[in-house]
Amino acid sequence: MKLTTEQFTALEQELDSVKQQVQQQLGDADARYIRRILLVQRLSALSGRILLVLGFITPWLWLAGVLLLALAKILDNMEIGHNVLHGQYDWMNDPVLHSKRYEWDIACDAGSWQRTHNFEHHTYTNIIGKDRDFGYGLLRLSNDFRWRLRNLWQGGTYLLLSMLFQWGVSYHELAAQRVFFGKKKADRHSQVSDSELKKAFFGKGSRQLIKDYVFFPLIAGPMWLWVLCGNLLANLIRNLWTSTVIFCGHFTKEVHVFSAAQCEGESRGQWYYRQMLGSSNFTGPTWLHILTGHLSCQIEHHLFPDIPARHYPAMAKQVQAIAAKYAIPYNTGSFVRQYSTVFLRIMRYSLPGGDKAVKAL
Amino acid sequence: MLGNQSSLTLYFLPLLQRLAPGFLPGQYRARLLCRQWQTADMLQLTFQVSGRWPGFVPGQHVLLTLQHNGRYISRPFSICSPLNLWQSQQRIQLCCKINRAGEFTPLLNQLKNGAVVNISKAQGDFYWQQAATAAVFVAAGSGITPVAAMLLSQRHWLAPVSLFYRCRGSENAALLSELTQLAARQPLFTLTLSDSRTEPAETLQQQLMTNSSNKQFYLCGPAGFMQQMRTALTNSGVSAAQIRQEQFGLAIAAPAEHTAAGLQLNASFIRAGISTQVTLNTQQSLLQNAEQHGLAPRFGCRMGVCFQCVCDKVSGQVRDLRSGALSGHGAEQIQLCVSQSVTDLVIKL
Repeated sequence: MKLTTEQFTALEQELDSVKQQVQQQLGDADARYIRRILLVQRLSALSGRILLVLGFITPWLWLAGVLLLALAKILDNMEIGHNVLHGQYDWMNDPVLHSKRYEWDIACDAGSWQRTHNFEHHTYTNIIGKDRDFGYGLLRLSNDFRWRLRNLWQGGTYLLLSMLFQWGVSYHELAAQRVFFGKKKADRHSQVSDSELKKAFFGKGSRQLIKDYVFFPLIAGPMWLWVLCGNLLANLIRNLWTSTVIFCGHFTKEVHVFSAAQCEGESRGQWYYRQMLGSSNFTGPTWLHILTGHLSCQIEHHLFPDIPARHYPAMAKQVQAIAAKYAIPYNTGSFVRQYSTVFLRIMRYSLPGGDKAVKAL
Repeated sequence: MLGNQSSLTLYFLPLLQRLAPGFLPGQYRARLLCRQWQTADMLQLTFQVSGRWPGFVPGQHVLLTLQHNGRYISRPFSICSPLNLWQSQQRIQLCCKINRAGEFTPLLNQLKNGAVVNISKAQGDFYWQQAATAAVFVAAGSGITPVAAMLLSQRHWLAPVSLFYRCRGSENAALLSELTQLAARQPLFTLTLSDSRTEPAETLQQQLMTNSSNKQFYLCGPAGFMQQMRTALTNSGVSAAQIRQEQFGLAIAAPAEHTAAGLQLNASFIRAGISTQVTLNTQQSLLQNAEQHGLAPRFGCRMGVCFQCVCDKVSGQVRDLRSGALSGHGAEQIQLCVSQSVTDLVIKL
């Protein structure tokens, strides 16, 4: 670790105070904001689904329907679902926007996602062997993983994963628990039984499939094929977008990776430090931030996962100043630049060799 | 099917709230007509209630929900107005004790006429059952509200009824003029004021115990007062079936065995997949404990009425703050707002 114990304590206090300042301001403005986003989401979902059927007038209406439905699904997934399920709006005591009640429009059961993402990924961010989000057990993203033949075509694997991203997220917990394949790992303990995991996986998954590929096509009558294709396309757009945003958050070139031994018994200051090194931001206009659910500010999200995300861009300025003060690298850049480094990383490690990402801290 | 929420109403809620501001599913809108101070700290609110509201039995209460600073908060209040005000004009009145240091009740004093709030269906099983039996009502402080609704609603008087109203002098007795008028026109009804500044509680107990057989007793007031009256009545031979009561406020007592031994209790609250370790303050409810550590479980009335804060207890034992009853040690559902830790706990928020 480059910082001294005193510096870690000071870092902890400074970041805590950034968090506290925002917590004290939470109120009407946040409630109005998230309700407005929810309203936009509902209106675009409804109008999108109606326009898909009106495609018989002109296919342009169908295309507009696809885009509106994709927008609705992206908002539901990112700015609403992801953030609500993190508990960012629990303080509102709202009947819809609460982490215990919200269910989102993707294949993954909200409870399963909370266990794998909120707990595993956010606690053990980028620790090799503990955070399975680093490569999702499919991609080799650094030389800390042994090269295997299948890594040769991981470019294709990546494309497939992105296209089916919601199913990857949904299957994540079952893969970890070796519910269907592989030998159980002795050191893994789950709060949830395998049968409950299966029930959540098949229950939510089939509900989503029936909704988009049976129910809505059926009520569209003669337009059923248009509606079915439109839903497929909207889901595809959403999958590609969320996958891209999330890959930019943790797999960029300068992002840091850790070993389990380095993080044992870490203080909160050290945890903050690791979150800053293990995440990366990208810059862009406000609408881009909203479409990413403010995961464009992945560093701030990882430091303050339960603060309403609309505050992240303002907090980023303070966090960046703190990072500069302690000479902690702050990984940010344009969307195109960050994404190209992600792509190069996937390509580079599809071949043997390369650098080890875990460095001495 | 359309949305992923548990009901279509919840899916369309953002649209519905645009069309009807303040709409909440399962709740009824009520418009404030006027506010009036009954005493220095008792505020009477008159509401015009939505026609969909199913009505009430005198003695019942409603949950009143407000939105303040982006947050929905609610508290239970007894209806103090007679049934015919609702039947003839669809109005109800609530009499609320304003605690100026509190979070909720000061907001009631800031409500403007015409403001829309939400009320729940009427709840509670504290009501007058057998009008043909002689009855004794004992009310203290704001405990007068459900009792006043019962008495003022009564149309057919069949047996003698007496009300003992304990308060800090007549200037602090809410709804006194309505009750005095009732006593003047209804010979079967007698009203006795008991001034808590000059008259010891024992005098009141003596009055209650004379001719106590074959009477039905209705007690309503703060927890300590109720306990005292109930004990006195049962000691004088009144059976438990003769006593009905409604408690106002929660009595929170630290479990003696733990404070004495200086034992520290811990809980792990699991929220959104993440577990938070908390050292418990045994003087407070689990809801307060969770809130103090930045967790925000869903809540409602904060006194065990509305069941919005029900959570899964994974392990550990809790005490019910209202009855003192102990829970089991295993997995079960508990109400956070009226539960106090007895052992270390694991709770899924």
